[in-house]
Amino acid sequence: MLGVFVCQCGTNIAATVSTDRVVQAAKSMLGVVHAESIQYTCSDPGQRAIIDAIQQKGLTRVVMAGCSPRMHETTFRRAIGRAGMNPFMLEMVNIREQCSWIHSDIDEATEKAIDLVRKGVARVRRQKPLQAGSSPVTRRALVIGGGVAGIQAALDIADAGIPVTLVEKSSTIGGNMARLDKTFPSLDCSSCILTPRMVEVKQHENIKLMVNSEVEKVRGYIGNFEIDIRKKASCVIEENCTGCLICQEKCPSKAPDDFNVCAGESKAISIPFSQAVPLVASLRKEYCRLFIKGKCSVCQKVCPAGAIDYEQEDIVVTEKFGAVVVATGFGLYDWKQSYPTYGMGMYPDVINALKYERLLSASGPTGGRIERPSDGKEPRDIVFISCIGSRDESVGRPQCCSIGCMYMAKQAILTKEHIPDSQSYIFYIDVRAAGKGYDEFTRRAQTDFGAIYIRGRVGKIYPRGGKLVVMGTDTLAGDQVEIEADLVVLATGLTPAEGAGQLARRLNISTDGQGFMAEGHPKLKPVETNTGGVFLAGACQGPKDIPASVAQAGAAAAKVIGLLSQEELETSPMVAEVNQLKCAGCFKCRDVCPYGAVEAQDARDGQVAHVIASLCQGCGLCNVACPPGVISLKGYTDNQLIAEVVEVLR
Amino acid sequence: MSMNDLIATIKKVLEEVDVVLGWTRSPAAGVAVPARFHTPDEADGAIFDSTCTHNLAVHLPRLKNSKVGIVAKGCDARSIVQLIVEGEVSRDRIRVIGVPCPGVIDVKRAWRCFGFGKKIEDAGGRVHMEGRSMPREEILLHKCHQCQDQEPVIMDLAAGDVKSVTPPPPPDKTGIRERFAAMSIAERREFWREQFSRCIRCYACREACPLCFCRDACSMQTREPHWTGGQVNAIESEMAQQVRTSHLAGRCTGCEECERACPVGIPLMLLLEEQNRIVEELFAYRAGMSLEDKTPLLTYDVNRDGGWR
Repeated sequence: MLGVFVCQCGTNIAATVSTDRVVQAAKSMLGVVHAESIQYTCSDPGQRAIIDAIQQKGLTRVVMAGCSPRMHETTFRRAIGRAGMNPFMLEMVNIREQCSWIHSDIDEATEKAIDLVRKGVARVRRQKPLQAGSSPVTRRALVIGGGVAGIQAALDIADAGIPVTLVEKSSTIGGNMARLDKTFPSLDCSSCILTPRMVEVKQHENIKLMVNSEVEKVRGYIGNFEIDIRKKASCVIEENCTGCLICQEKCPSKAPDDFNVCAGESKAISIPFSQAVPLVASLRKEYCRLFIKGKCSVCQKVCPAGAIDYEQEDIVVTEKFGAVVVATGFGLYDWKQSYPTYGMGMYPDVINALKYERLLSASGPTGGRIERPSDGKEPRDIVFISCIGSRDESVGRPQCCSIGCMYMAKQAILTKEHIPDSQSYIFYIDVRAAGKGYDEFTRRAQTDFGAIYIRGRVGKIYPRGGKLVVMGTDTLAGDQVEIEADLVVLATGLTPAEGAGQLARRLNISTDGQGFMAEGHPKLKPVETNTGGVFLAGACQGPKDIPASVAQAGAAAAKVIGLLSQEELETSPMVAEVNQLKCAGCFKCRDVCPYGAVEAQDARDGQVAHVIASLCQGCGLCNVACPPGVISLKGYTDNQLIAEVVEVLR
Repeated sequence: MSMNDLIATIKKVLEEVDVVLGWTRSPAAGVAVPARFHTPDEADGAIFDSTCTHNLAVHLPRLKNSKVGIVAKGCDARSIVQLIVEGEVSRDRIRVIGVPCPGVIDVKRAWRCFGFGKKIEDAGGRVHMEGRSMPREEILLHKCHQCQDQEPVIMDLAAGDVKSVTPPPPPDKTGIRERFAAMSIAERREFWREQFSRCIRCYACREACPLCFCRDACSMQTREPHWTGGQVNAIESEMAQQVRTSHLAGRCTGCEECERACPVGIPLMLLLEEQNRIVEELFAYRAGMSLEDKTPLLTYDVNRDGGWR
């Protein structure tokens, strides 16, 4: 007793697919006793019509031809459940995303819709009633990345009374925000607003902070992740170190200053900045004289706390988590190869904006005095160029970095405050300043701080007599422009943080074309991912500014708190099942199962496979690996899929 | 190796196992046939010569609950290793007796040359049959040409010096493989259509294969799942064989038993050799070479870069 309901979705489907013809065709399919077309099946009257038909005609199986199951499968399962049917005796046939939206010819689209419905009918005819199960939830969250988004998410979750582990790759939390001097549009001191939050993380009783650590392996699923975290050896005993910095002072091995974007120089053993949390030194073996030449140990000799341990080894900690927030932030686009006419990094006074930010900062390597890298002189004419490696199809990076316009205006203002007789020039494509108070801010940069905005791109930069000649176009005036600059600052685009792609694979979440992590739905699931229990916060999902990152972190935290406030989660009944009478006991299923859900059971003539339903996530890998095909996924049996293929090819 | 070496070794192994799998001579057919030796008296009938073509490893999964000794050629040993790797045979329940193998002959072809049932003898590098003879290398099974596995990869005892064997000659370049390689895709399609039109769905290929251990759940035959139909026609038979072939990806040790067992002479090894070549090219992997190996198609690890363990 099969019913077919064809949704018109207003004109979304009906404009391209003749739903009446689909209904007529469905009526002649094997087992179909009822078929009708409804304007909006998901609406209240639509669902009522389905329930009425089920009850009046005694339907036992339903095919819903409409949108993607990602959209409304749950809606219709609930609806047919209300009508007294087993909710899983439903097949969603996608005639919208996979048919009406991608075709224009009505006859062909209708034909295809009929094929798809026939396929769905064949499949649901072989469907058996299923019952959902449940699994317990581990009440602990993992936040990956200790930038402002990770900090916010960790604090929000921890404040709700849920234990949080915050994992940070580098030796301190704070992320890119800790590098900023001031923030737009209020010109708040960045570290003044961030540092208290960092300290709060350190002191929060529900937060366990792990620096120098990375997620290495992920097992399990929503509510029950088991994650290996590698804490890399830093040669410093964290509990002993007092942050006195004597080791850094005395260390003879120079090392690049990553925190200051190489604007200054650091040591092999160091604390990146004075507000670091935890305030603990860590040693980079690749620059350390002891590890390179075999002789030094100065830091061990001078450390008053006995905190140096050269023998320290990596530790791998395995912990259980119910939910994960990814907040790995962003990196900067490396412009040098793609913009050869800007000198490919040969001119020391062409720098990216983050390095300039460090030169502006009172806690930076120059103590807040702006010095150009080549000769340490204070620059007078400064050129900012926007959209380097963003909004630029020619280098394959079409997207907007979303913060460049704002931070260029900010840096122009700060430059004027630092050097009152300086002049800033800003080459822009458009001024994108859509946030609250943003447009006013960019205008103030021009009216109150005298920044000269030039609409156009820069074609070439070359040195002449200790200065850099910037040749560009002013597309509004239709003129060529040539500026003799002391310093050129590039507003480079944002990329995903280093290693983000690898982490995404480990968490089984997707990434977009630029490598940013993909949200579950661009509008309705902006912080979820396609893997249940894994959420996104901040710039790992796409370029965004601090308020947006913090807001998303709060939203991700709310999702985590909601998830972890449940004691049990309903699990899908679409799990694997073994026909033990036919199992040959080769255990290929157990070899491929990512969830450890297959175990051996004794049978009369040896061992056979058995699926632990509460662990199975229904991925179907065992299904494929089983040579005789006697392990099958409930609701997705081989015979159901074969029937679909046969109908499509008919 | 003398037969006495072999018999003595089997008798020694019989002290610790229930049964030894080996060969004895068939009085009727004049060639070696598989035999099970339970007692020292029975073991007196054991032989090993170039008519011992059978891969006795096929019997191991069926003797799961006994301690078993097995006489193995180098190639058979690979099948044993693969069975242990796949958990079908437990290492501590078997004793492997390695034999020095000079290559085995195509008995069906010998019978076609000399007549069925004639006693075949192998002496001085020639195969003799009631007064007539031919060089052994002209009638070897294809797998024995350029054999890389003369020394068994797994062995508890050796009957004779398994390292002493001289390598067999390269194959004759006029055979079916060369003709097949020269065919276009359309010609190959036609070739297989013709070959499988002779298939009688007897499943001898499966029964002879040591690694086809799914027993009554074999997907060539079942309707649950219904991947192939049971009809005897070229399309269904080819589909069934393709299913069997793909199930052997990364598992087939190339023992050629399926082709030898086929009563209508379908050259099944053309499919498996090509697949084994692809597996070796993609994964640098030959099945049954080490007890520590895992079949490459089962070892994708999402946590590892590149995904392969």
